[in-house]
Amino acid sequence: MTDAQNDTTETDPEAEGADEWDPIRTTGRWEFHLKAHAVVLAIVVVSEYIGTFEYPIGEAAIIILPMLYAVVFGMLISFRFLGAYLTQLQKVAPPEVSRISTPMILISLMPLGVIYGTLVGPAFWEIIQAGPAFVLQEVGNLATIVISLPVALLLGMKREAIGATISVVREPVYGIVTEYYGPKSPEGIGVLGNYLIGTFIGTIFFGILGGVAPLFGLHPLSLSMGCGMGSASMMTACAGSLAAVSPPGLEDQILSFAATSNTLTNFTGLWIVLFVGLPFVNFLYRKLNPVLGRGE
Amino acid sequence: MDRIEYIIESLKMLIIVGVITIIGNAVGYDAGIVESIPGILMIIAIGLVSLILAREIPVNFPGIAWAILVATILSLPFSPVQEPFLSAVGEINFLATATPILAYAGLSVAMQYDRLKEISWKIVIVTVIAMLGTFIGSALIAEFVLRAQGII
Repeated sequence: MTDAQNDTTETDPEAEGADEWDPIRTTGRWEFHLKAHAVVLAIVVVSEYIGTFEYPIGEAAIIILPMLYAVVFGMLISFRFLGAYLTQLQKVAPPEVSRISTPMILISLMPLGVIYGTLVGPAFWEIIQAGPAFVLQEVGNLATIVISLPVALLLGMKREAIGATISVVREPVYGIVTEYYGPKSPEGIGVLGNYLIGTFIGTIFFGILGGVAPLFGLHPLSLSMGCGMGSASMMTACAGSLAAVSPPGLEDQILSFAATSNTLTNFTGLWIVLFVGLPFVNFLYRKLNPVLGRGE
Repeated sequence: MDRIEYIIESLKMLIIVGVITIIGNAVGYDAGIVESIPGILMIIAIGLVSLILAREIPVNFPGIAWAILVATILSLPFSPVQEPFLSAVGEINFLATATPILAYAGLSVAMQYDRLKEISWKIVIVTVIAMLGTFIGSALIAEFVLRAQGII
């Protein structure tokens, strides 16, 4: 009963200045923290116990890593999905658990970041040598507009397409496009959609794509650079699956190349979208809309 | 949240994540809990430094970027601590560090559930094509350049 009361007061995002770090505060909140971390521990143990699922397709495979079970279990347990129907589950994972989990993502990225550092450091000279490929493939993040914009127009989309077709949208790009066009504008809805779909299914999508990617006939190192799109979890799912289906001995190099490409996108992605992506998608929209669009 | 509280609470959370990580590492990758302890302590220390740097240095450089940067420098071929650092952290499988992140991410997604209603099925299709195109576009350019350089 006290739980329910605390929930309503503590989940109000407008309370006390809405600092994104507030949920990690433990003073007087140990009960919620205990629940949040115990639920995560349980999810981790079950996911790791099940282990990696592998269904071979020739040289490639559908790989389902433990991290993909974890994201699905997390969603299902939360108060918006199964928790919305099962009162027992609401006691285990009340809304406050989901609120604590949001800044916990940033904390739990630290071990992954350190591990990536230990893969990138020793591969220093190889990465420098492949420097031109790293820089140029960043532009590839925009090549997608050429394919996705015509599809959007054929589906009858209008200006929403401007936001939805710009590569893989993560926080920085979402922020800048929303600020530029306004959150309620069609462009803003488009970019919000891309961001949310990525949040909900991005990791699962790239986890499966990484395993089947060798079917495209490209070298694993090229594919590993494709895995870096600005999201550490999507990149890890993609590179982890790719490493599992690639020839032995390439694993560390695949992971270090993917991590480097991802970090590069973190730094340059925003500027490339702002100064190249948006002008280009707008230019293409003006050219293609009269031909492919469905009128007003 | 002030600086001292941020540091203390971040450290507590890093320790919790560390414990969850080495348990997952033992369950999924047959690693020993005791053998993983030196590595996870180094990870917690670098993680804390990175979170502090992300807060105090006024550039848009997130915590994970600092963690990668610091760990990269420590493990460079000409770093004096490369060997002990790599052997300690090497006890921890990289996939074992990803699973807790995704568990927290799955739980937190519920906070954004209401906003999904604004999104049409057309945006879903186009986004999936955009994600696929981003991957293939980058990989194709990388293939072309790596071949031209004779690396692959």
